[in-house]
Amino acid sequence: MKQSARDEILSKLKAAPRKPIPSRPGRPVLREISLTPGELIESFSKNLSQEGGIVHRVKDRREALEKLSQIAKAEGLKKVMVSTDDVIASLNLSAWGKENDLRVITSQDFDSRDSFKDAVFEEVDAGITGADFAVAESGTLGLIHDKDQARLTSLAPILHVAIVPVERMVGVYEQVIEKIFRGKKNLPSQFCFITGPSMTGDIRGVPFKGMHGPRKIIVILVGE
Amino acid sequence: MEVKTEQFSEIAREELRKAYTFLKAGANFVRMRREAALSTFPDAAAAQAYGAIIRAEAISRLPELLEEFEKNALSNGAKVFWARDATEASQYIVGLAKERGIKYVTKGKSMVTEEIGLNEVLEKNGVKTWETDLGEFIIQLLGVTPFHIVGPAINIPVEKVRDLFMEKIDLKEPTLDPVQLGHAARIFLRDKFHRVEMGIVGVNVAVAETGTILNVENEGNIRFSKSSPRTQISVMSLEKVVPTLEDALHLVRLLCRNCTAQKLSAYVSMDNGPKKSDEIDGPEELIVVIVDNGRSRIYQDEIARGAMRCIRCGACLSGCPVYRQIGGYAYGWVYSGPMGQVLNPLLLGLERTQDLYRATTLCGSCKSICPAGIDHPGLFLHYRAKDVSGDAILQTRKPPMMERIFFRLWTWAVTRHRMWNWGVRFVRPFVNKQPHEGMLREVGGLFKGWFRSRDLPSMAKKTFHDRWIEMQKENSEGRNQNERE
Repeated sequence: MKQSARDEILSKLKAAPRKPIPSRPGRPVLREISLTPGELIESFSKNLSQEGGIVHRVKDRREALEKLSQIAKAEGLKKVMVSTDDVIASLNLSAWGKENDLRVITSQDFDSRDSFKDAVFEEVDAGITGADFAVAESGTLGLIHDKDQARLTSLAPILHVAIVPVERMVGVYEQVIEKIFRGKKNLPSQFCFITGPSMTGDIRGVPFKGMHGPRKIIVILVGE
Repeated sequence: MEVKTEQFSEIAREELRKAYTFLKAGANFVRMRREAALSTFPDAAAAQAYGAIIRAEAISRLPELLEEFEKNALSNGAKVFWARDATEASQYIVGLAKERGIKYVTKGKSMVTEEIGLNEVLEKNGVKTWETDLGEFIIQLLGVTPFHIVGPAINIPVEKVRDLFMEKIDLKEPTLDPVQLGHAARIFLRDKFHRVEMGIVGVNVAVAETGTILNVENEGNIRFSKSSPRTQISVMSLEKVVPTLEDALHLVRLLCRNCTAQKLSAYVSMDNGPKKSDEIDGPEELIVVIVDNGRSRIYQDEIARGAMRCIRCGACLSGCPVYRQIGGYAYGWVYSGPMGQVLNPLLLGLERTQDLYRATTLCGSCKSICPAGIDHPGLFLHYRAKDVSGDAILQTRKPPMMERIFFRLWTWAVTRHRMWNWGVRFVRPFVNKQPHEGMLREVGGLFKGWFRSRDLPSMAKKTFHDRWIEMQKENSEGRNQNERE
């Protein structure tokens, strides 16, 4: 029988002369691993601003909603797609929408991928999500995608607003990996790091935001 | 993709005339930005060195890591297909598209799909392909090869982009503003993302311990191609695998700093299989295509396999004094600059890529920059040696009989001082007959090839050896005279 491509490739690789595996030095030191919570927030904000993101700090959920209203007004939002993750769920955004005269929809209002896509691509002015992590070392958000965190909500609308409790701040990526992957049987289908708005510099090296994804990203950090 | 590696000299000569001033002028800026980005590591040298160790280990343990990756990817619910070569890989993908009645696909930037010529095969079979990375989109519409791995269309004048967009994507208002041009591409491709049923993307890193595949990007086109359609195809060349997630993320840190001088690019997305049944978006099926395409052959050569460490950051391009003069087209295929000089000869064979591993000053700038620890100059010398001795693995024949006889005679003659001295006296009149500004420029016949890229200075009337003997004579005559007086 003809050998499968898989077996053929692997057996060729295995038959090749072996070289000893180089010994590893300790992992390179990472500055952010030893920062205090206050320093982490400072570092996160600085890094995200450098990439063109906007960071607001608020004391509690009530202030978060106020900030959200200000943003909705300033950006002229009429219809928003919001995720249903635990952060967003705790804010009761449908009530907030009524007060602020905007339509708030979630992926769970749709029974098919296609109708959800129509809305998230064409109808909404912003996507509002929680985040599972904020990583100080690069001003990065970490989003676990699942039924409450649809992928396109943070990607297709031109504006992404993320609401993040400060307890979710960590120093480095390794701390995120530890929490999502270590000892877990059922991994999320996708995990995503987001650092600033979508961007490109592909025409003559001129950088600009909002290539395919959001042009603007606003992070509301909740808590002291 | 058409292979033009054998036209290196001709294309390079043409490109030199274009004088890519932005490459020369921008080089310092790019270097400073990259260094500033690396300096955000507490110890940049240690971080770079650790990247090299990860890649060295990955290549040493390649078959085992691939098996581990496959096992975990399968248990995450992904499908895995192994392809021996370009044809197997692209035929398989075409088959998937046809089975599913796919009209068009959106593509994320992926060098390996360019390597296997996937777009041409898909289009030939009636599946429209849309490159969605802005630079790739532009060069696809233009029908040219990438100028630079990170900025494939960075050299295209903005006027040309305007005309292209007016003709091909219905740009209404002519503009020279890159932002507005980019926006036109956004609007055009957004509709494609919206209705796409199959996304094809590459893989930056594959993780053995979890079966995760990871993409790094700034634009969001890869995330769209992995979120909107029902089918996701991730094509990876087989050397992309690393042992652990920590390794993968360390490489991503290095990749972003070396590539675009960022701490992290806008999006790093990691897939662990298709979407769960209760998720509204994301692929229902995730198919990983592992492409060999010559790599298991290259792997047989213990030195050459070092080139497989490459993580495609592109830092070596802007660091290279040759690339800065000629730009990316002369390298004649998918990979350009020092990266292309080490990879193209291996993937295409040394025979067809002669000029690539010779068009170098061996200055080692690429080696000093490389976060994967590739010894480019060492590889160039290795390829040259193999090219002379002939090598089945690296696909080069021995040089022609005449050349071998000539060099055997040459070796015999130049290692014997009498022969050398006699030879010099013999050839001097021929060499000095037609000196052009003191140089012998062109010679026909047997030595034509040698003079194609070299000049020979005209020879001194007397060699050092002749003068030494004369001086000795004069001295001893002088001494004799002195003694007599």
